[in-house]
Amino acid sequence: MITSAMGIWNYWIVFILMMIGLFIVIGRKNLLKKIVGLTIFQTSVFLLYITLGKITGGTAPILTENSSTIYSNPLPHVLILTAIVVGVATTALALALVVRINSIYGSIEEDDISAHDLIDYHDQNNTLKKSILQNSK
Amino acid sequence: MNIELIINAFLVTLMLGIAMSLLRTRSVIFTVILTSAYSLIAALMFITLDAVDVAFTEAAVGAGISTILFLAAMAYLPREEEKRINSQLIPALSCIVLGAILIWCSFDLPEIGLASSPIHLHLAPDYIIGSKNDIGIPNVVTSILASYRGYDTFGEVIVIFTAGIAVLTLLQNVKKDKKKIKKKVIKNV
Repeated sequence: MITSAMGIWNYWIVFILMMIGLFIVIGRKNLLKKIVGLTIFQTSVFLLYITLGKITGGTAPILTENSSTIYSNPLPHVLILTAIVVGVATTALALALVVRINSIYGSIEEDDISAHDLIDYHDQNNTLKKSILQNSK
Repeated sequence: MNIELIINAFLVTLMLGIAMSLLRTRSVIFTVILTSAYSLIAALMFITLDAVDVAFTEAAVGAGISTILFLAAMAYLPREEEKRINSQLIPALSCIVLGAILIWCSFDLPEIGLASSPIHLHLAPDYIIGSKNDIGIPNVVTSILASYRGYDTFGEVIVIFTAGIAVLTLLQNVKKDKKKIKKKVIKNV
């Protein structure tokens, strides 16, 4: 009974971790925090995959002389290795975008950025009107 | 009673604690260090789950390089997350509903470590036998990564190359931006 509860416990916590990551991504307005949320979501998905590949009593999939050794499933390990490295590339790209946004808007809070965009839009409209008026004269 | 399962359960609960404190904190440096600790404990979990290659990649790349990237980005960014009053009801509600559905589905997942679950019956035994006979590398993960799925790994290199170029082109103009903005403001006035 306890063993089977333990068997499912990992899955439950991993799902809760995923949801915490998702909540940070969609609930927080700070762009840096959103990237951290994505990282947490990512790592929990990795955990889910690796947990599925585990065999009780097995060892790491490195071949030994002994033919009766049980190996854990190597396929999820390979997929996750690729995913970790690609994940760090996307994190770097996201951070570069955030740094660029900060240097243009002076803030990384979502509200400030959209407010700034609204002001820019009105400014553009005004200059457009002025230039049309000048041309008509 | 399996001792590995107990260690796993403890470590994953530790990760839950770190994620909870990440939800509460607003200091950026604290956030970065907590994320690093989160990755490190994930690496520990990968070791107990027999994924040693994944564990050292996660420790080096997840806990090492991405922390350095975050710290480097921090130099350009504000140090505190601003406190705003905004409704978090809808995001929280949707996350809780989705989490409940996932937990409901988890009853259909195979128990951890069961050798007869479908994932272990197909393809994996072929790779383990083939690694010895066809390729001759004792580390099965390496032989799949570099030989069976070599094109996949090649694609991964292209992704990293593209990301590197994109980061360089994005960061090239950060210092010029401020001058441009000043010019733009003068033009508009």
